[in-house]
Amino acid sequence: MAFFLPSSVVGKTLVSFLSLLFFFLLVFFCSQFGAVNINLNDWLSLVTNSEQSQSGSQYVLWHLRLPRILFAICIGAALGLSGALTQGLFRNPLADPGLLGVSAGAACAVAVGIVIFADLNIRLPAEWRFWVTPVMAFFGAISVCFILDRVARWITPDSIAGLLLTGIALNALAAAVIGLCTYLATDEQLRNLTFWTMGSLSGSNWMLIIAIGVLFILAWWRLRKLVKVMNVFALGQSVATHVGVDISRLRMEITIWVALLSGFAVSWCGMIGFVGLIAPNFARAWLGGDQRRVIPASMFLGGVLLLFADTFARTMAIPAEVPVGIFTALLGAPFFILLLRSSRRQIS
Amino acid sequence: MDKLCKLRGLNLRLGTKGLGPFSLEIAQGERIAILGPSGAGKTTLLKLLSGDLKSHWGTYHFKGKVIQGWPLSELSRSRAALPQFADVSFGLLAKLVIALGRISIAGDSDIGEIIEQAARLSRCEHLLDRGFDTLSGGEKARVHLARIFAQLWDERGGLILVDEPLASLDPGLQIELLSSMKQYAFNRNHALVAILHDINQAMQNFERLILVKDGKMMGDIPSGVQAVPDLEGLYGVRLDMVNIAGLPPLVFPRAR
Repeated sequence: MAFFLPSSVVGKTLVSFLSLLFFFLLVFFCSQFGAVNINLNDWLSLVTNSEQSQSGSQYVLWHLRLPRILFAICIGAALGLSGALTQGLFRNPLADPGLLGVSAGAACAVAVGIVIFADLNIRLPAEWRFWVTPVMAFFGAISVCFILDRVARWITPDSIAGLLLTGIALNALAAAVIGLCTYLATDEQLRNLTFWTMGSLSGSNWMLIIAIGVLFILAWWRLRKLVKVMNVFALGQSVATHVGVDISRLRMEITIWVALLSGFAVSWCGMIGFVGLIAPNFARAWLGGDQRRVIPASMFLGGVLLLFADTFARTMAIPAEVPVGIFTALLGAPFFILLLRSSRRQIS
Repeated sequence: MDKLCKLRGLNLRLGTKGLGPFSLEIAQGERIAILGPSGAGKTTLLKLLSGDLKSHWGTYHFKGKVIQGWPLSELSRSRAALPQFADVSFGLLAKLVIALGRISIAGDSDIGEIIEQAARLSRCEHLLDRGFDTLSGGEKARVHLARIFAQLWDERGGLILVDEPLASLDPGLQIELLSSMKQYAFNRNHALVAILHDINQAMQNFERLILVKDGKMMGDIPSGVQAVPDLEGLYGVRLDMVNIAGLPPLVFPRAR
């Protein structure tokens, strides 16, 4: 099946090399913005010097700005990937983990975790505590995925409107539970909660980057095989079965990946909307509908998009920081309306 | 020689409607047309054969093995189906849609060549680089037909199920594609089961007619002039025979 893609190994290597180079330049470019000035010397000394002789700006670059930039790229890529997988899964260019309530489900589970479980005073070892949020978020996300899959297919199979309406209902439900949690929360819990409903990348650090790196390696290892087969989703369930693909198993695995990726993003950055919607649609407009291109391209575009949004968010009102979710929504909501317009034939 | 396909007393319920029993055997390389009025259950029968619908009672053996015992990927190497409507989302290129017919084959090195030949056979070689969503109804049907051709291109003795493959095509293409399908199936000893609306096409190109009405099988008869009284009963019309020198006899429907 390799003959549609950049034809040769050489072509593939070239594409990977160029995107890597692009990202290096982009990281350098975005590192220029911020409260502390970073110059080329700081970058050079990062490579040559060891830790002890760091100046102030080098410290900022290594401990704050670089992890922040890399984190934005990684989370953007995760959101783009989960958006592309969701759209492929539901055969629907309007599907997005945010719009369908998957992110809200994750945030809702986290809110329940913060407020209700905290009151139960369960004693956990310190190193487990770190994993409570992501695990809760994953279960929240995956529950919503399963509900969506069941309800939307059961009520209105293959209908865009049915899927989006189910998403609205689930979003409302999650919002209600989050609202209830805010009402019950103490002051400190409330501060934590606001973070999840707004979406911000300010929690970035090297450890999280390593964690998401591991997640990407696992995803690459599994999805490499699935991406090729994912194109059959476009043919619909019955034809997919005729050509010999066990679609329910495939669907289950993709669903778990969507939940893992959105759960991870939500548990560390809160709800950042619309990246998962925009990136795959741009990718499709750019390279066509073939999932083998759309999926890597969505990761690429998601990373770039969130990096730009976050660079704006953290530099616009120095020394304060605007939640990045506001920028992605400002960009995404009009885009969503345009998208609705172009798919109005399928909706009605 | 074992039959390719054996159905015994297949029954199913769709909502409040009971369909069946359907019992039939299909031999290798046979050409069968399913005929009947609209809404009679022709598509249901075809979907039972293709596995889209599961029967509630009865048994289905394929190549001597119960159908449930077949792994999907292996089954796709001997059974292909063309549904009446099959949309493709995301505007995939036609050649990718055709290639997806062979998705369950690992290390498929000849695929480029097979796609071109399959497309040529179903008269859509000029559409390969078009997005599926930009095609007309008839063009979509041809691309899907090419997908079926590609799927069983290098197999022998399989089963091809097609639901109204010629519905949205002009008369010239109808003739060409029907002969392509026959030639394709004949060369590979595939059995061909098709739902058709045109009685003449069915009689001229298929050896056996299965008549379906009111969710039941009304008959399973060899094709030919002697089938005319049964067909009159099936559709509730009169069929006049028209003989033109040099052509097979044609039937001409008239109200009773």
